[in-house]
Amino acid sequence: MPPLRYALAIGLLSAAVLAFELGLMQIFSITQWYHFAYMAISVAMLGFGAAGTFLALFEERLLRAFERAFPLLLFLCGATMAGVCGLAQHPAIRFDTYLLFNDFRQAYRLLATYLLFFIPFFLAALAIGLAFVRFSRQIGGLYFADLLGSGAGGLIGLGLLGLFMPGELPGLAALLPLLGGFIAFQGTWTARWRITAALSCALVVLAIFRPPRLQPSEFKGISKTLLLPESKIELERSSPYGLIQAVSSPALRYGPALSLNYDGPLPVRKALFSNGEWVGAIVPAPAPGQVHILDFTAGALPFRLQHPGKVLALHAGTGEQVAHALAHQPLKVHMVEANPVIFSLMRKELAAETDSLIFHPAVEAHQLDARTFLMADTNTYNLILLPMVSTFGGTAGLNALQEQYLMTREAFQDIWARLDPEGMATISSWLDYPLRNPLKALATLVEVLDAEGIGEPQQHLIAIRSWGTITFVLKKAPFTAREVADTRAFCEQMSFDPLLLPGLQSGERQQYNQLQDTFLFGYTDALLSPEREKFYRRYALNVRPATDERPYFSQFLRWKSLPALARQWGRQNLPFLEIGYLIVLLTFLQIFVIAAVLILLPLFRVGARRQVSGWALAYFGSIGLGFMFVEIILIQQLTLFLGRPIFATALALSGLLIASGAGSWYSSRWGAVSRKAVLLPLAIALLLAVYTFLVLPALHGAVGLGTTAKLALLLLLIAPLGFLMGMPFPLGIRYLSEKNKGGIPWAWGVNGYFSVISTALATIIAVELGFSWVMILAGAAYTAAGAASLLISKP
Amino acid sequence: MKRKIYHMAIAAGLLLTASPLLFSQDAYQKKREEMVQYQIAGRGITDKATLNAMRTVPRHLFVPENLRSRAYDDGPLPIGYGQTISQPYIVGYMTEAIRPKPDFRVLEIGTGSGYQAAVLAKIVDKAYTIEIVEELAGQATKRLQKLGYDNVQVRFGDGYHGWKEHAPYDAIVVTAAAEFIPPPLVEQLKPGGIMIIPIGSPFMVQTLMLVEKKGGQIKTKSLFPVRFVPFTRE
Repeated sequence: MPPLRYALAIGLLSAAVLAFELGLMQIFSITQWYHFAYMAISVAMLGFGAAGTFLALFEERLLRAFERAFPLLLFLCGATMAGVCGLAQHPAIRFDTYLLFNDFRQAYRLLATYLLFFIPFFLAALAIGLAFVRFSRQIGGLYFADLLGSGAGGLIGLGLLGLFMPGELPGLAALLPLLGGFIAFQGTWTARWRITAALSCALVVLAIFRPPRLQPSEFKGISKTLLLPESKIELERSSPYGLIQAVSSPALRYGPALSLNYDGPLPVRKALFSNGEWVGAIVPAPAPGQVHILDFTAGALPFRLQHPGKVLALHAGTGEQVAHALAHQPLKVHMVEANPVIFSLMRKELAAETDSLIFHPAVEAHQLDARTFLMADTNTYNLILLPMVSTFGGTAGLNALQEQYLMTREAFQDIWARLDPEGMATISSWLDYPLRNPLKALATLVEVLDAEGIGEPQQHLIAIRSWGTITFVLKKAPFTAREVADTRAFCEQMSFDPLLLPGLQSGERQQYNQLQDTFLFGYTDALLSPEREKFYRRYALNVRPATDERPYFSQFLRWKSLPALARQWGRQNLPFLEIGYLIVLLTFLQIFVIAAVLILLPLFRVGARRQVSGWALAYFGSIGLGFMFVEIILIQQLTLFLGRPIFATALALSGLLIASGAGSWYSSRWGAVSRKAVLLPLAIALLLAVYTFLVLPALHGAVGLGTTAKLALLLLLIAPLGFLMGMPFPLGIRYLSEKNKGGIPWAWGVNGYFSVISTALATIIAVELGFSWVMILAGAAYTAAGAASLLISKP
Repeated sequence: MKRKIYHMAIAAGLLLTASPLLFSQDAYQKKREEMVQYQIAGRGITDKATLNAMRTVPRHLFVPENLRSRAYDDGPLPIGYGQTISQPYIVGYMTEAIRPKPDFRVLEIGTGSGYQAAVLAKIVDKAYTIEIVEELAGQATKRLQKLGYDNVQVRFGDGYHGWKEHAPYDAIVVTAAAEFIPPPLVEQLKPGGIMIIPIGSPFMVQTLMLVEKKGGQIKTKSLFPVRFVPFTRE
């Protein structure tokens, strides 16, 4: 057994690292965009990998000074964890995603941000790695403490996100390594040590009580809204779902894509933002008999065609569509929203502003992910309302890598199944250039009709166009002649143009809103024709419907079209068409190179000197890659199953890490070169195959279970996998400690390198090939590890 | 002798101090000419009044000092507060699109740096411009006054309401669009008047849209997507 104080310190340090990482992901999502969450993970992993290399180079010196170096690293880690966020927010360092492609100085700022956040992770990993080397024969216990700490850190991080503002998190997380430092310290408190400890504590206290002010990108919705006269943030709530802020200004008006024939006043409304991005306007329940302002939008069409009986508003946000539906006296409106903070605000602080919309007798609120609700629900509805696709003026692909399970072909099939025989579903999209969001929405609708065996999709689909939006209405039964006539009358009244309508004449398509060309009409017709498949292949952007396997509705970039797009739109404009996926790709490439330079190149030198075999390299690399792939896929799959993304993340992360910790502990009973140890990776690969082809698909059928049953099922699912996956690393380290101790830092570094690149790589594979492939490749990685361990163990 | 040297030194100093200014003014003039030739006229803007105005208005005085060297670049530039000065081509295109005449009364929503208003002021009788960011409105007012654009009036306020006192307008230029087109603006447009609006963020693909008020009907016409250079679609 390693001394308890070191196991405890490592547990605290690992908990801090994970809590800090979660906090950092949130901070990046607030100040920049969701994509930079990948950067947080990559930087963390890079710190771990680079620390391994550093250890390999300076191992002897560090080991000689272990008693002093270990607590010092913990103090420094605490101090830098507390300090780097404030520094990264300094005007001289703060970068802006949008300006990255406009101002090259931003690239230096990005690099400076990378380096700043790298430091605490590097220091933490160095401390952990150093302890692993120092107590390599008792690695099982230390690795258990490390994984248990990480698992607890995930839960602590999520808890802190619910209790404190995101800016306070780094300081709070930094308390843990400080505590670890005090526990691990065994020497005399000389003046130098006292100063070090006091300064570290002072920095942490400062970060907690004077947290840095997080400045969102000036191009984020909230920044623009806060420029309005007399604007102010009325309230803020932090939760693991993000930072929710309500903003008011006398100039903040509401009336998205209103008909130009509307001549009334536009109401001033407060607006809700999540991580600086628009969620919705805070709208009141309509007064009886009141004409709702959204009746002057294209989205009002279904209400013109039918009186709504039972309405389902999915991903309802602040309830804009719910209020609109209530103006038409429905029997019931089911409001589904995943973010509990929004519901909580509507029930309490915003109850007056919303005229108690959520308490309206016709409203039934469901706090659940919209897709999970659809999968579990057995009711049918007269009208299903989907949220608006895209945003005004487009997003340049900033949501490209956000999993959107509500926007997949399977989700639309679920919607179809939930419609009454005469029921309708509606979805609107802002028009964008080049056309992509409305085309993918239409393609998804058409494929559902195709899958349902509808021979004439044109009879079940209506689309109308305002000056800036397209609204699609899908009906389970064919549209009647009266409904077609009502659509025409509505268009005339509002100066809208029909795009799809049974019996439509081509001259009708541009009576009020003339487009610069007729591409939209050609594309629409192609999607409804037997040539659809050919159109997908030929169109420069990816408008093929998203699927549960690849739920990236907003990912439009096709690599093979890049040369054609560059010719068509100008090479310098490409980043502005689809920036999101490019950022992840650039992150991957950067990290691939930086990690190689910082981790692998020096290690090859050390490796050569110490004659570490290539098979050992393959073994540690494969298990690094495989572990991260499985972790990422579990988070994604559990999100859909549980309907609460944050619980899914907590369960997948903490559950897997704690179970791995237990596995690591148990592995100390095995001989490092035993037959069991050699065959273990192959057993994991086999288990992964079972999960990929049997367990995960079967999970979709169990979405309707109660929460307790679901949690029990997930524990059963995660525990054995995590337990087994926690064993190969400590077994490998013990093998090296017996055969070639000098190779341990090297193994640590290679494992770190593959963990670094696997985060972004898993996402890229999921986008290109689908989730199953990520799992298959994880299985392949463990198979490779098994083969490597077989070869290593041969005399 | 000493006095002579002293005077010569002063003269040399003055010359040295002034020379960068003189040279840079020349350089800016040259850059402006090139901008009009390659970015504006070269891309199909033919309206003489627009071209002359863009040849005359010193764009470099409308951008932050640290970006002056890039003032005539073929793109938008940040001017602070999350706002930009539009790409020269967009300014030229929007100006030409409203078919400006000397007797026009034009309203601009979104003054920003004041550059678009200055270009309009070179052509039309009266230009009114409203800016919602107080700091930008103050800066633009001072700048336009200093540069002698007497026929431009700047107001700090919410462009939603338009500027009723000077309505109706022959044309309205909206430099940053919202999710809606304010009904008061449509109302303040003369019968036969034109409004032009870019849809989308200046750092992304924008579509310019014309709103025309004709015979009691309001119709829109999307022009074409633009960013840095006009897109040429196959």
